[in-house]
Amino acid sequence: MARRHFPDMLLGLAPILMLIALWQVIVWSGTAPVALLPSPFSVFARFSAQLLRPEFHHEIAATLMRLFAGFAIAVVLGVSIGLAAAVKPVVDAVVKPLVRILAPVPKVALYPALLLTLGFDHASKISLVAADALFPILLATYYGASMVEQKLIWSAMAAGTPRAQIIWKIVLPASLPSILTGCRIGLVISSIVVFLAEMITSTDGLGHMLVQAARTFQTVDMFVPLITISLLGLILNAALHLLRRYLLKGFAEI
Amino acid sequence: MMWLSRLLTPLAPLLACIGLLCVWQAASLALDTGSFPTALEALRAIPDILGDRGSLINILASLRRMAIGLALAVLIAIPLGLLMGRSRNVAAFFNPLLMVIYPVPKAALMPVIMLWLGVGDVSKTLVIFLGVSLPIIYHSFQGARAVEEKMLWSGAAMGMSASRRMLRIVLPAALPEILTGCRTGLVLALITMITSEMIARQSGAGNILFNAMDMAQYDTVFAMILIVGAMGIILDAAFERLRAMLVRWSDAGRAIPLSYS
Amino acid sequence: MIAVENVSHRFETSGRQSHLALDDITLEITDGAFVSILGPSGCGKSTLLYIIGGFVKPTGGVARVQGRAITGPGPDRGPVFQEFALFPWKTVLGNVMYGPRQQRIPRAEAEVQVRRLIDMVGLKGYENFYPKELSGGMKQRVAIARTLAYNPSVLLMDEPFGALDAHTRTRLQNDLLNIWERDRKTVLFVTHAVDEAVFLSDKVIVMTRSPGRIKTIIDIDLPRPRKRAELLLDARYQNYVVAIERLIDDTGIDEAAR
Repeated sequence: MARRHFPDMLLGLAPILMLIALWQVIVWSGTAPVALLPSPFSVFARFSAQLLRPEFHHEIAATLMRLFAGFAIAVVLGVSIGLAAAVKPVVDAVVKPLVRILAPVPKVALYPALLLTLGFDHASKISLVAADALFPILLATYYGASMVEQKLIWSAMAAGTPRAQIIWKIVLPASLPSILTGCRIGLVISSIVVFLAEMITSTDGLGHMLVQAARTFQTVDMFVPLITISLLGLILNAALHLLRRYLLKGFAEI
Repeated sequence: MMWLSRLLTPLAPLLACIGLLCVWQAASLALDTGSFPTALEALRAIPDILGDRGSLINILASLRRMAIGLALAVLIAIPLGLLMGRSRNVAAFFNPLLMVIYPVPKAALMPVIMLWLGVGDVSKTLVIFLGVSLPIIYHSFQGARAVEEKMLWSGAAMGMSASRRMLRIVLPAALPEILTGCRTGLVLALITMITSEMIARQSGAGNILFNAMDMAQYDTVFAMILIVGAMGIILDAAFERLRAMLVRWSDAGRAIPLSYS
Repeated sequence: MIAVENVSHRFETSGRQSHLALDDITLEITDGAFVSILGPSGCGKSTLLYIIGGFVKPTGGVARVQGRAITGPGPDRGPVFQEFALFPWKTVLGNVMYGPRQQRIPRAEAEVQVRRLIDMVGLKGYENFYPKELSGGMKQRVAIARTLAYNPSVLLMDEPFGALDAHTRTRLQNDLLNIWERDRKTVLFVTHAVDEAVFLSDKVIVMTRSPGRIKTIIDIDLPRPRKRAELLLDARYQNYVVAIERLIDDTGIDEAAR
């Protein structure tokens, strides 16, 4: 298995390199004017140049701040509501129909309402991110917590664990694999939504950079925030993967 | 108690809707700002929007683009996902590319695609297609990967060719997982549709929303939110019906709750 | 002493029907006895064990331990399940430490005692392994140690060796008897293997299925400590096994009827 790792990676790099090569060939052949499709080199050169500018750092920081704030709210709410619904039939009876109604609603449609009630500043964007990331985390927690093996709970109860502590000592750790899967989906959604919210209305952040560049037809500058958000997504995903590996040391399937 | 809960269970989502509208009504009355209409005012504005020929055509055009984008994605993503699930090399080839594309907000490609293909239907349909493909590929991939090897061996022993095994064994076995992907894709298609229209600001439901906001017609804004929300709920419920019919043989999951509370 | 008085249990099945799993069970188990409950799957033998454990409330009758009605699980009755039910997020040491820590025994003190237990079940050197890294037999050893660690006076064993291969099963049976000989806890041992029940027990309760009733209770009058190799050649042992298997045949117990 381990020996196959290297060829696998090469195979995986191939389509990415091929796409970049195709991009370069189209630029060279002159089928697309540079104003519409800049060469990959100029895009990556601009990206590297931007990386050194403090203004660009400010945009990234603004995006990340909203992303993390929304994601954190979604994790806290999603995990606690999900656990409570899985454990308490009363909570379940209220939460289940609400989730069935609210989960398939396109949350981005609520954005105008959030703008009108919370204003055009951070609060509306953070709420949108939280609303979008909430449901995958809540559903994964609920699913994980209701699949916890009954006999784990019985074993803990027989060992003298009070009923009130079962949820923290057994249900939460036992449903951690599922919760973290929900968090991974929630994190990607957060990074997508924060970017879109910034595109729709904002004065800073990566999404705003893209809109700004599009308005002035600076094609090269349009690609920079797109590459940045993709890289941020990959980095955050890798970070969460490491956290998952550490937290789930004992679990069979990672 | 039993008869009461039996009566309430099918009505629960409806009660949840009414409850949410009541909370909204109370909140807007309590806040009493000009930009936050009550639930009743928003509900009253719905017939005006749906009665207006222009906005109705706009909304229907949105839905048509969504349907085309979703259909194209289903046609391409399911076979690709199944192939990835059954061949290590195909999976190794596509996985990193998909991982790079995954965190890119597809609706954010709207300005770039508009630059190339204009603001017409093609751009918007393409964005929807891109938006929904990934979850369908991913779930088809997972579903095909989980198909038991021994089922395929039995198929091969019966003399089925590789392509027949794919069609007759892998596809049905992976169907529950594929449909989960399609359900995510359906909701995502609606989201991408609205978002791309909000960004492009040319036509469609997303555009009506922001136009109304610019013109300070706040009850129209909230009525539009209700319409879009209802679309999501109805599409999802209809698909869930279809899914339940297609995979009746699959496990429904745990019916009895755990007893530790 | 464990006393089960007219206990019945009825399940609600999914088709809005109900199934009588246990029908009017009455029995007494004296302290320090090793008692097996033998029966085919679906006879309610595990349910009876869960009722004594306090995990399941009977729909009729009452179960008592030391004269008090059972209202819930407690550290006086320790379960060992077929599925091991180890905490996957804890190491072997962490799993066995769980009970003593719940009893608020100081960590250092608990650890000395727990390490001795792990040694006793033959897992010295595996303290920092996670359950997923152990074989089935080793997992069940951890589960037994985890239960012994909070020193219950009754062990409730629910087909504990049912998921193990024949060889591992034999070794664990021997080790369980050795452990039991030392402190003679009361053991209630659910199984569907006749030879296992005869080899281990002082008493075998044979149950019928649908509804679950006690068919007979057989005293196993074999000398202890028992050695497997000697018993297999012992005519009394063979007679017990044959007699019980006949009894089971009589009751028409077979998997095909399910």
